[in-house]
Amino acid sequence: MSNSAPKTAQMISPDAYPQMMGRQDGMRAMAALRSGQTMAQAQVAMEEAAAPMKAAILQYVDEMEAAGADMRTVFDKVHEIRGFAATAGLVTTGRIAEILCRYMDEVERMGKTPDGNLVALHVSAIARAARTQEDDIQLGEQVAAELTALARKLAR
Amino acid sequence: MSGTGFEHLKALIVEDNAHMRSLLRALLNSVGIKDVAEAAHGAAALEILRERRSDLVLSDMAMAPMDGLEFTRQVRNSETSANPFVPIIMITGHTERHRVEAARDAGVTEFLAKPITAGNLFSRIALIVERPRAFVRCESYFGPDRRRRQIDSYAGPWRRAGDFKDDDSKDREIR
Repeated sequence: MSNSAPKTAQMISPDAYPQMMGRQDGMRAMAALRSGQTMAQAQVAMEEAAAPMKAAILQYVDEMEAAGADMRTVFDKVHEIRGFAATAGLVTTGRIAEILCRYMDEVERMGKTPDGNLVALHVSAIARAARTQEDDIQLGEQVAAELTALARKLAR
Repeated sequence: MSGTGFEHLKALIVEDNAHMRSLLRALLNSVGIKDVAEAAHGAAALEILRERRSDLVLSDMAMAPMDGLEFTRQVRNSETSANPFVPIIMITGHTERHRVEAARDAGVTEFLAKPITAGNLFSRIALIVERPRAFVRCESYFGPDRRRRQIDSYAGPWRRAGDFKDDDSKDREIR
């Protein structure tokens, strides 16, 4: 399509290309998206997904730990964990994974190498949080705050 | 008239994690989208798009061998693309600003950060239904209009320096 792009920018309005659905269907679709029944069904789907998601996270944790100093693998796995943790009900795991993701992204952006000890500390904290049966939010927040401060200091 | 309005839609999920594919399928089912195809990476998704109509695409970003950004570029720009206008919602755990901008510049319609919730996904679908985006075609980009903010006093479709490549209007003010 863009191979024949004009020299100047061309705007194509929504009524000039095929839409996902017509106006009538659109009105019913909006009602469905806002209905309590839809949200209830969706909530059931979310709850049913939690257990397999948790199993997937534990698998990612194993792979992240096995990666050791292979920072690319740690980077990939921790992003997956961050994406799934809350859906699996692992709030603390997600919170700590978020800190490590931000640190690794920032370090990569600056062209620096991640600090191995800091990464190992996070990996260990994520693994502990994921494998703990009870998600201790308060303790998790405390750990997260300390790791955030450390990551900020080392990212400078 | 009965139904949710979604029952005739065909959706495509592009995601390398089977659990996430399963969850997204269940969420689409809950609004009435029953015809859902799945692919584990961008190259497989392009094959599906060639063989089957898709009205809505949900795509992950980080996948191999073809990631969600390249997949989106191919959908928007390939001469053989079945539907360059198809709405693409990118769902990813990579939420850093530069990655969001990369997704926008690849031509995604909406961006959704993981962890997903039903409400967040439905709100993105609602935006596509209720406020479809204009498309922009210029030398460096084809895809949904990247301007979210409308400025009444600004008449042109240009937005970024790249939009003026080989265009003598490059000195024009960019907002």
